[in-house]
Amino acid sequence: MLEIAPLAKSGADLAVGTKPHIGAIIGRPVTLSPAAPHSRWSLRARDPALLGSALGRALPDRIGTVLDGIARLGPDEWYALLEAGTALPVLTGLPVSVVDVSARALGFTVSGEGARLALERGCPLDLARLAPGSATRTVFETVEIQVWPTAPDAFHIEVWRSFAPWLWHALAEAIV
Amino acid sequence: MILIHCPYCEQDRPEIEFTYGGQAHIARPHDPAALTDREWETYLYIRANPRGLHAERWRHIHGCARFFNAVRDTVTDRFTVTYKTGEARPDGGVA
Amino acid sequence: MTGYRLPAGGRIDRHRTINFRFDGRDYQGFAGDTLASAMAGAGIVLVGRSFKYHRPRGLLGIGSEECNALVSINRGAARVTPNVRSTQVWLYPGLNAISQNRWPSLRWDVVALNDVFAPLFPAGFYNKTFMWPRSAWEKLYEPVIRRLAGLGESPVERDPDHYDATYAHCEVLVVGGGRAGIDAALAAAQSGGRVILIDEGDELGGGALADPAQWPVLMALKQELYSCSNVMVLTRTTAFGFYHQNFIGATQQLTDYLEPAVSQGAREKLWRIRAGEVVLAQGAIERPLVFNGNDVPGVMLASAARSLALRFGVAVGRQVVVMAAHDSGWHDALAMAAAGVTIAAIIDVRHVVSGDLAEAARAMGIAVHTGAAITRVAGRHAVKGVTFASDGTGPSRRIACDTVLMAGGWTPSVHLWSHAKGSLVWSDAWGAYLPGTALENTRAVGACAGEWDFGAGVVTAVLPNALPVRSQTAFVDFQNDVKARDIHLAVQEGFRSIEHIKRYTTNGMATDQGKTSNLNGLQIASEALGRPVSDIGLTTFRPPYTPQTFGALLGHHKGALFQPVRKSVIDDWANLQGAVFENVGNWRRARYFPQGGEDMHSAVLRECTAVRERVGVFDASTLGKIEVVGPDAAEFLNRMYTNPWKGLAPGRCRYGLLLREDGFIIDDGVSARLADDRFHLTTTTGGAARVLNMMEDYLQTEWPDLDVWLTSTTEQWAVIALQGPRARDVIAPLVEGIDLSPAAFPHMAVREGTIAGVPTRLFRVSFTGELGFEINVPADQGRKVWDAVLRSGGAHGISPYGTEAMHVLRAEKGFIIVGQDTDGTMTPYDMGLDWAVGKKKPDFVGKRSLARPDMSAPGRKQFIGLLTERPQDLLEEGAQVVLDPTAPVPVPMIGHVTSAYHSVALGRTIALAVIADGRARIGEMVFIPMPDTVIRATVTAPVFHDPEGSRLNA
Repeated sequence: MLEIAPLAKSGADLAVGTKPHIGAIIGRPVTLSPAAPHSRWSLRARDPALLGSALGRALPDRIGTVLDGIARLGPDEWYALLEAGTALPVLTGLPVSVVDVSARALGFTVSGEGARLALERGCPLDLARLAPGSATRTVFETVEIQVWPTAPDAFHIEVWRSFAPWLWHALAEAIV
Repeated sequence: MILIHCPYCEQDRPEIEFTYGGQAHIARPHDPAALTDREWETYLYIRANPRGLHAERWRHIHGCARFFNAVRDTVTDRFTVTYKTGEARPDGGVA
Repeated sequence: MTGYRLPAGGRIDRHRTINFRFDGRDYQGFAGDTLASAMAGAGIVLVGRSFKYHRPRGLLGIGSEECNALVSINRGAARVTPNVRSTQVWLYPGLNAISQNRWPSLRWDVVALNDVFAPLFPAGFYNKTFMWPRSAWEKLYEPVIRRLAGLGESPVERDPDHYDATYAHCEVLVVGGGRAGIDAALAAAQSGGRVILIDEGDELGGGALADPAQWPVLMALKQELYSCSNVMVLTRTTAFGFYHQNFIGATQQLTDYLEPAVSQGAREKLWRIRAGEVVLAQGAIERPLVFNGNDVPGVMLASAARSLALRFGVAVGRQVVVMAAHDSGWHDALAMAAAGVTIAAIIDVRHVVSGDLAEAARAMGIAVHTGAAITRVAGRHAVKGVTFASDGTGPSRRIACDTVLMAGGWTPSVHLWSHAKGSLVWSDAWGAYLPGTALENTRAVGACAGEWDFGAGVVTAVLPNALPVRSQTAFVDFQNDVKARDIHLAVQEGFRSIEHIKRYTTNGMATDQGKTSNLNGLQIASEALGRPVSDIGLTTFRPPYTPQTFGALLGHHKGALFQPVRKSVIDDWANLQGAVFENVGNWRRARYFPQGGEDMHSAVLRECTAVRERVGVFDASTLGKIEVVGPDAAEFLNRMYTNPWKGLAPGRCRYGLLLREDGFIIDDGVSARLADDRFHLTTTTGGAARVLNMMEDYLQTEWPDLDVWLTSTTEQWAVIALQGPRARDVIAPLVEGIDLSPAAFPHMAVREGTIAGVPTRLFRVSFTGELGFEINVPADQGRKVWDAVLRSGGAHGISPYGTEAMHVLRAEKGFIIVGQDTDGTMTPYDMGLDWAVGKKKPDFVGKRSLARPDMSAPGRKQFIGLLTERPQDLLEEGAQVVLDPTAPVPVPMIGHVTSAYHSVALGRTIALAVIADGRARIGEMVFIPMPDTVIRATVTAPVFHDPEGSRLNA
């Protein structure tokens, strides 16, 4: 009979904070907050023009950039992070894929002078070179995240719902 | 941790964003039923294991999520080139 | 008691005394001391014992090269750190250090008898002796070796500390904060890029800290450095490994230098640094000399003694003799003499030494003996004197002394350079390897690059002596007790490669990784082999540079953060109900919901009864889900799965079976067609990521022409499985927009509408054999709908059930669990699932393999049921099945049990198994041998309950 390791049990006690976690990392202020709910969509197409016109929205050109709340994550993949309640047309009969993933992820914001340091504890990217207006999937240690810099010292982080408690605490641990 | 150049993102990205996908340029036969058992075995299982340059597949799974191809030196663990799926091996090498 | 504190000098703060403890006795040092300098200042000579012979040992060096003065630092029972170099422990009040490798005490060590019998323990002794008889391994050799092995002791309690970790990026990383490193960092800072400078010490300066003349300029340079906003200086930080593309691993000590009472926060921090350019400025390590008696406590490196005198204000002894092969020993002796240390004599193996040096030495009253070598050292626990002779063979002379300093030249620290696969070039001038060509954007500067005026010297193997090498106790590797004669023996026994000689003798294999022994070992091997050193090669340096704690390497993956534990949105509710959980992949799932004092057996029986008789509710949210969208969606699924998909009408579901290309089952799940170009796939919980990756692989690389896209929706949907005869009654009041009548909404159908006001994809499916629904709702609404279902179900006797009851219920119906009932070698036919294979399809993943003769050959294992002769015998999952338990061992095995449960529906146990030609054996008796008995069972079809399926079509 397999028993649950004690470590896993304690890991199961973690929960995403409901209020901002405010502190500092190496003396630099950081605030970790749960982001407001968003409308999230996975958008796929071989032909960006077709997808854009079908949605009635402009899409960012370059992989890793954001335009009006939509990030281009890959050659045929965009991710829309829109105001909660925003509905996109669920297109049918076209060579495109529009899937509502609003509930799949949770968002955090990490802001303040120490925000980048807080993320660099587990994210291997050189975040100093990731300017506002860009967005990318990457990892924080073993957990996949999306990083959307929103200002020089502020980041929006997307993480799949079930990984969110771990990520929240892994980030909060160093913000004291 | 090595850096791998993703030919889609056009960036050097950290290894932990990627997963390995085995030897490259092994196309699935169009009509598997036409293959002898021996030919099918070769497709399924027989792989190169060179000391030196090896064309292989990687996936930028925690980035753009694309599979792509790479030539890596198995002795030094250095990537000499990466290129998009469907493109010919740029250095003209085999295996 | 020989060392003592000089009346003045050094960088210590003589106004701040610090009490510390070594082996239970209290001593005093000063702020700015290391443990090593404080012990030396307190007159402690004997600091540890060696690994193999437990020989008494004293301090050898002053930094990371230290191989003798290893101690355990006790910061509480859970915070004992063994094998710490006392030269790199910064003194704090109450520091408690304990010597290692001795019993019962450092001075009287029982195992030192090894040393008395040392002639019996030459190199390779263990390899040669403990070969046979085999039984002696278990009873004698291993227990004894285990008792004697190891350095220090591990803490016995769980480490209460936590550890930090970070990535960092910079344009230039400088490793080593001596003069060369500081200069390199300042130069790099001019370019405006990010610069990181790391150093092992508690202050920057390196070797310059032992040279007061350099202190003023050092202070100015440091001030300049700290004023650069683009420079980060990390002290007490060790770069332990240099990996591909200028990726450096380093650990920073954050609290170990502080009193435990005032320590806060993480103990250590792991730095993972990616640098545009790496500048290695690691300096050089002085080389010991190999001579008879060179390991007696009190014999140490001249540079270490100099540092003790000039940086820490400690005289290593009252009568000091220097044994030199290099000018630097003279310079150190002169500097120490000027600082008040009594240097009795300088003996130099060279006949000719710079006249200035000899002149200066004589002027300071130091006796000078050139062309001579020490041939013997008197004393066991401390040096009492030395015997030396001209050329080692002339008439012997004696000098009384308490300290012998070795100046054997210098070895540039090329460790990290070598990690980075930079080439090494032999330098005759240095008698050492120097950095050659770099593979990375990396350069070496300062002493580690050979760019240092280190004076002149000769490179020696063993100092000349009238005694043959085999009769000398002349050590090469102090920590591993490798003597010059061991290397000779290895060569004599036929070893030619330095890699083999290293492993045979263990030279350089101790925790110091040969920092002081590698080059001497090479010289001796070279001489024994009669080949130049550069022909013999050099053993490979590998990370870590110095031993690192597991904690530092773990970083924040500790305790609750060890790994993510994924939980569904229903988990909080289950937790409140007192559910017992199990891990499935990295999810945790409710296994059962005990009531009162119920054990698992009773709880599961009760939960199963509820489902069979009334209705049960189950959190199936962890099921993998993939949205497949695009005009070619059906074509794609048709190629992936064994089943045909093109004819599936929108609104209908199908059980899908997924094979690997080798024809074996890898996953399964029920999927629904929502529209012509949209499918909602489900996968097993553990297979979700694997299946998506496999599908992406085919889609991106084999069939890129297909217009279809895959989106993981596992976490988008909470899935509430409602199963049992009253399932429809429970949801009827909650559902809008869906006709729930059996005719309008048959088994294996999907409908979209709302439930409890929440948009839902409602599946009519069953993994229990009962009438069932799987309610998919957006995850953020999952708990709300779950609560509504429970409220509505109250009137129907609803009960939550966990994964254990789910397993029992599906086993009663013979539904497989991929990975439990299959093991990666089972075909659809083996599992009785050939009905799910589209025979008319021209191709699908795995189809060609199924056509191989072996895949349908007689004798393959087939999925069947087992009913034990005694109804309450529960078979063990994994137990082997045999036809004749009395057959001689090894008894031929025909298969194994894959699942076994108490079935409430049957009132007895049931089991599923895979056995050779199983379906042809239905009705036969088979045997399951257990340690204490043999269980008899009858082979049955794998469906135990409602084989007609009348219940799920209700």
